[in-house]
Formats: sequence, structure tokens, C-alpha cells
Amino acid sequence: MHFLAPAALAFAATIPVVVLFYLLKRKRVVKLVSSTMLWQRFLAETQASAPFQKLRKNWLLILQILLLALSVFALSRPYFAAKAKPAELRVIILDASASMQATDESPSRFEKARGEALKWVDSLAGSDQMVILLAGANAEVKQSATSEKASLRRALQACLCSDSPTRLLPALRMAESLVRDQKNAEVHLFSDGAAPELSEFESKDRPLPLIYHRVGKGSNNLGITGLDTRANPDDARQRAVYANIGNFSTNSLETEVELLLDDRLLERRPLTIPAGEASPQVFLATQSRDGVFTVRLTAKDDLAVDNQASIASLLPKPVKVLLVTRGNRFLEKALRAAADMELAVAANLTDPAAGFDFVVLDDVAPTTWPQGNVLAIHVLNTNWVETVASVEGPPIVDWRTSHPLMRYAAFDNVQVKESYTAKTPSWALSLADAPQASLILAGDLGRQRLVWIGFDILESNWPLRVSFPIFIANAVEWLNPANAKTSQLLVKAGEAFRLALGRSETSAQVTLPGGQTRTVPIDPKASEFVFGDTAKQGVYRLRIGTNDTVFCVNLLDAAESNIKPRDELQLGKYTKIRATSMQRANMEVWRTFAGLALLVLLGEWWYYHRRTV
Amino acid sequence: MSSPLLTPELLRRLEQFQLLAARRAKSSAKGERRSRARGQSVEFADYRDYVPGDDFRYLDWNLYGRLERLFLKLYEEERELPVRIFLDASESMTFGEPRKFDFARQVAAAVGYVALSGFDRVSVIPFPELAAERRLQPAGAPHLADRAARLAELAARGALRSVRGKRSAIQFFANLSALTAGGSANLNQALRRGALEARQPGVAVLLSDFLDPAGYESGLSALVARGFQVDLVQILSPEELAPVAFGDLRLVDSESGAVQEVTFGRYRMKAYQQSVQNFLQRLREFCQSRGINFFTANSNTPLEELLLKQLRKAEVWG
Repeated sequence: MHFLAPAALAFAATIPVVVLFYLLKRKRVVKLVSSTMLWQRFLAETQASAPFQKLRKNWLLILQILLLALSVFALSRPYFAAKAKPAELRVIILDASASMQATDESPSRFEKARGEALKWVDSLAGSDQMVILLAGANAEVKQSATSEKASLRRALQACLCSDSPTRLLPALRMAESLVRDQKNAEVHLFSDGAAPELSEFESKDRPLPLIYHRVGKGSNNLGITGLDTRANPDDARQRAVYANIGNFSTNSLETEVELLLDDRLLERRPLTIPAGEASPQVFLATQSRDGVFTVRLTAKDDLAVDNQASIASLLPKPVKVLLVTRGNRFLEKALRAAADMELAVAANLTDPAAGFDFVVLDDVAPTTWPQGNVLAIHVLNTNWVETVASVEGPPIVDWRTSHPLMRYAAFDNVQVKESYTAKTPSWALSLADAPQASLILAGDLGRQRLVWIGFDILESNWPLRVSFPIFIANAVEWLNPANAKTSQLLVKAGEAFRLALGRSETSAQVTLPGGQTRTVPIDPKASEFVFGDTAKQGVYRLRIGTNDTVFCVNLLDAAESNIKPRDELQLGKYTKIRATSMQRANMEVWRTFAGLALLVLLGEWWYYHRRTV
Repeated sequence: MSSPLLTPELLRRLEQFQLLAARRAKSSAKGERRSRARGQSVEFADYRDYVPGDDFRYLDWNLYGRLERLFLKLYEEERELPVRIFLDASESMTFGEPRKFDFARQVAAAVGYVALSGFDRVSVIPFPELAAERRLQPAGAPHLADRAARLAELAARGALRSVRGKRSAIQFFANLSALTAGGSANLNQALRRGALEARQPGVAVLLSDFLDPAGYESGLSALVARGFQVDLVQILSPEELAPVAFGDLRLVDSESGAVQEVTFGRYRMKAYQQSVQNFLQRLREFCQSRGINFFTANSNTPLEELLLKQLRKAEVWG
């Protein structure tokens, strides 16, 4: 046995002091009795009449010496040095996602997880090290590898739960890099397991030594999982607010759904949602100025953070489009069919078309390339795409229906005579594929949003298909910078809010949902303002110069709203991690001695009182 | 008949009793007890042949008529029963609430009254002796009042040596009340002396706490050997049976002045009571093996309980 604090053994000098006290004569109460005959039996063991007389067997003395010895022993922190056992590294990952705020555990899942993690800190053996990662909106190292328990405890106490969806993947990757070269390493994940993206995790060379501590027990939750606002297609003066409300519990739940515009109650409707189902709700509201719609659920459930969601809604403005074409009636008609459209047609483009929301280039290579968003049809620009080839009669074999541009647009009966094909560049997604290459690309290149169609639509039968006007309508919607801006104003908790800057600014003021104001310095050369502190949901108000912008941070995550704790984590494609029931491991020895000392103290107290009371 | 020692009610009930002696009285004085001696009484004992000189009044004329021989009717001689009450008046008897000595005096008064009612002679022998004890006290002229009290007590003690007749009961009670307790007793010595001094053995009633380090065995044996029928009442105070002082104590013996230190707590009460029981058990066994009636009384037990129930049940009187 070795000692971490051998200096504490000096306290053993107090033991002779106790003995000294016993050697000294005790003061006694004088009592006259009829006869001491009956007391003979009690005289022998406690007779002490002279100072510094011979020490007698006395249980109190023995207990007190034992108590002192144990305390001194505990203070010296003894430990057993195990041979050839290298220091262990434990990586603690604390899930700080929104679902950890659920109150099915008291006081909350996050607090419970923190408590469990603290127990592991307590059980940390002498030279073992521990790292604390917080997997909230971002993976964050709260404490780098150390065996200093005070620091670890402090780091855990400083952890806060966020309103963001689970992002365990970066934390796991970080943990993997930490334990890669360690032989005896463990990764302890304290989570409710609501982390679907973990199936994307693949260990690089050996399985991750992951121990999953499940937190949580209930699933009683109603949550808003989707929120959007559009112009009402039937009445352009109205706004349609779409909300998707899911019931993730095992019982049918009742609630009231409230719609508020800038904290003014517009509508309230009762709702009953069967277990495990979702109920889409559409509200129609008249809006006279820019504002924030808030949808609120009044039912009490285990997770409060998803019971409210807000969306900033800007008043619709007409979209200005410049069509550069040599003549394309199909295209022009399809564009004009879009609501609130101001279309201008030109044969060539000689300026950057700054006054338009976006430009349609139809088989025309302009003299000057536009600065704004572009729908380019059969146009080559080597800044956008590379290795362009031309193919004859490419069959369209696949298209990405999930993209907003392709919504309700099917390409199964579209034939193309001839098309440019391009390798998909890094900025774009391929929306329609021929076997050779992509035919339609879409994406954001810098601050420019581009849709690139490789073939001339007049040399295909696409204009005759119903998918063509739908695609064009989708494109008008997608390319309209106002819509893009609206979508920018809806941020998922934990994601960064980005705003293009019109001119050089030096600072911005952000008012957080709690009411605090934060001043953020801006690099004068930056073209974009980025605000990353969006861990809490709610309405944020941003002031840059004289411009006010309102943006909303919401959870809107079905996986997070589904708070049912998972027994199993799917890690990668083939690995499943079951929740462990493992508790904290080996304790330091001094606790045992301190505990024994306490017991002896109690025993001594009891013995003393029995004797004298 | 009012007395601070015994209530009139109790006295009235005690009058019904008579001391029961297993042995025949051996006193030479006449009394109301059967004895082996032949003499004058109404109790017929035996016949014997007439010899010249016998009193004719005792001839059985009826027998002469049938047998024509002269027989003399013999009657039992009734004699008195000497009752000696040994009363422990040592310092240790002054303890207890009520005091053990007061209780002992009450028992002595009751026994004496029963004996006096039965025309028996009563001797109360308090020990230790008053004069011998006082001589040992520190020098210095005792106060006059003290001296007068001592003289009065000496007179009372003298008067208590021999009391007879129910008419003496009031004086007997007064003398008992005048007794005080103090000093260190030697039980064995007192009993041995009492046994030697007695001209005839009779009933000996011993009232003491028996807390004498020197023991009690030889004294009791001497009494039994002298032919006494011994009744023994051990009187202990409630504090002696269950002490109420706890903690680190320095105990001072009231008689010997010896100092002893103990540490005592409630949890040791059982052990203490066990040692008291052992002490009582030894005494009880000693008494049983010698045919001595043994009683233990707590000084706060009602007097009637001891006198009217326990002593009667044990056939000390009936």
C-alpha cells in the first residue's frame, strides 16, 4: 500500500495526546452511599485515583485511538498500486440536446446525467484521466484530460443544456480521436439515445469502446416538428401558417394549439392526436406588416422546449425577373404564371442586372454575367461547371425528388435531343442524371444561387409535360432572394444565423430571447454576418446600423421531440450499443477508512452515552 | 392508642395474630405458651402413678373408681416465649426514602406488639451499642442538648431490653421512637453476643440491610445453634435496588468512609441489579439451609403488605 499524502501521517502525533488525557485523573461527582458492597463489581475496571497512574483497559480509549488511526489513515490517502496497469482514459460525453431537458427524470434528464457523470468522476482512480465533452449544439471540450477531480467537477457543473437537436456525431469523432492511441480507454455516453445520425458513424480502425448510459424513462411529449409560412395560394392577401404537431407518447393526447402574431392571440383550436401520430395544422391569418408568428401548445408534457415555435414572416413583394432569351414562349408563359411576377424580357444582358431578383438565361451567353441568382438553360460558364461535354439523346435515369426544385416534378417521360453534361461541382447538387453525367444542377455558389439546365428545353419534349411549369414555379420560388431570406430567418437551435451584409459594418447588436443584449463586433471586410450563439430557442432581434432583422430559433426536430429513451444505439451500419447498467467503478481506499472512522465515532458515542446517561 | 410508628387500624388487625413458635417454649417464667414442662394449666398431658406426697387435687377419681388404683393427672405447663428483636441501627440504615431505619422500627414495633399481645416477653437489641460507638467520636465536649438526647436514648435502650404485657405497648413504642441510628455495625458480633446473652432461646427477629462487609454467616449460625427460631427481614432502600446517580462517581461508604470510584450508566443497571440479586440469593440460600425465615423488603413497600401478607403466609405468626 502506498500513500498519496504521506504528510498526513504526522497527524498520528495526536494519538499520544488522547492517551495522555486518559492517564490524567478524571473529575468525579462525590456521592455518599449506604455501602459500597453492592458496587464491588464495578470498581475493578475503572478505578483511577492518582494522576499518571497505570493505564487500564478502557473501551472508550481503544475506540478513540482506533478512530484517530483510521482518520489519519484516510487523510494520508492510501492506495494499492496495481502493477503494469497503465492509466485509463475515460471520455465522458454529456448529451446536452433539447430532449435532455425532459422532466420525466427529476429534476431533468440532463441533471440526472450530470449526477451520474459526477459519480464517475468521484470513482476516478488515482492516475486515471478523464475528459469531459459536452454534445450540445456543438461538440465542446469542457475539460481536457486530467485526473484532477475538482477541475472535472467544476467542468461538469458548468455544463448547460441547450435547445438544439442532438449532435453526437462530432463528439463521438472527437472522443475517437482522443482514445485512438490509448489501450485502456472508455467512452461514456450519457444520453437518451435520440441521435439518429449515429448510424453514419464508422470507426476508423477498431471499434469505439463506447459505454452508453441511458437516461430517461418516459415518452410523454407533444411537439411542434415543422413550421412554415407562405402566401395563401387562394388569397394572396392572407398568410398560411403551416405547423406539424406530433404526439410521441403512447397515449392519445389532447391539447390546444394557439397561433400568435407578435404576441397577439389570433386563433386557438383544440386538438386530439392519437398516439404516435402527427397532425398537420394550417392557420390562415391576415398580416399587414412584417411580424413573427408563434405556434404554441398549451398541454403540459415532459418536454417544454418543443411546445412553442416561432417564424418571422415578411410581407410578400413582387418578384422581378429578367428573361434573356431569343424567344421561348413556353418559358415565358410558365414564368408569367407565377404569382406576383414582374417579368422583363431582353435579348442580351450587358449589365449585372442589379435591379432584378433573378435572371433567366435561355440559351444565351450574356455579354455580362449577372451578379444575382440565375436560372441558366443550355448555357456554358466555366466558372460554374467544368469538363463540359455534349451528349446525344441522354436518357434521364434518376432525379432527386426530395429537393424543393423537384417537388411534384417527375421526369419519367421527358426526352432530350442533345445536352451539355457536367461533372457535379462541389457547390451544387445534381437534380437529374443521365448515365454519363448530370443534366440539371442547383446550388449556392458564393452568394449566388444557381440552377443550371444542360439542355435546350426547346429541343426536348419537357415543355409539353406537366412537370415543366411545376419546375419553373419551384424555381421562381427557390431563386427568389426574398424567400431565401425568409428561410434564413428560421434557424434551427444550435445552427449559425447568417445574414449578407450590404455594406461594411463594425458591430451588431443582438437581443436574445431572454432579453439580454449582446454586441457582436464585425470585421469591416466581411460580407456576411454570422451569429452562432443560438443554443436557446426563441425570437432574436438583430440591429446592424439602422437595419432591424428578426430571426427565430426553433427546435423543429421530430427525432428530438421523440423523447422515448432508446435502449440501443445504432453505431455505424453494423454496431449496436446497448444501454449499460454499469455503475461507477472502484472507489478510492480512503473513503473506506473515513467511513469506518465514522462508524467507530458513532460506536464511541453510543458507548459513552450508555455508560454515563 | 395512637402511635407514630403504627396506625391504630394496623394495631387492631395485629391483635388478631399470635407468634407461632415451632419449638416448645423453654422459658422459666409462666406464660401462655405450651412447654415440655408439666405444671398447671387446662391442657391435659399424661397420667402417672401416685406417689406419696403428691397433691390430691390432681388425682383422677374416676379412674380410681374403675381400676381402684391412684393415678395423678398431669397438665402441660404454659410458659412465655422470649422474643428478641435485633435492630440494625448502623449508619447505613439511615439511607433511603423512606429511611430503612424507620421501616425497621415499624416492623420491630409490629412484631413487638404481636408478642406483647400474646403475653410474651420482648427484647429489642439495637446494634451497634450507643455508648461504645460515641466514645470513638472526635474529642471535644458534646453539646448539652446532645448529651441529654444521648442519655434519653440510653434510657430507652435500657427499657427495651425486656418488655412484657400489653399495657407496656405505649411505652414500648415511645422507646422505639427514641432510638437513633449511626455508627458502624458489626452484625456477626452483635448476633453472637445476643445468642450468648439469652438465658432461654426463643424467637429472634433480625431487622437489617445485611450490608456488612464482614458478612453475616457466623452471627446467624450462632443464633441457630443456640436454639433460636430466627426470622430475618432484610430491608433495602429503592436507591440500593436501582441507583439513580449516573456518570463518573466517587462513592463514599457511609460506615467505613472508604472511597471507591465507578463509572456507571443506565446500560449497566442490569449488571448492578444482577449483583444485588446474587447477594440476596446467597443470603436466601444460607437462610434456607438453616431453617431461617427470610424476607426482603424495599423500604417503600407498604407495611401492611409485609406484616399482614408475607409474614402470615410464612407462618411467622397466625
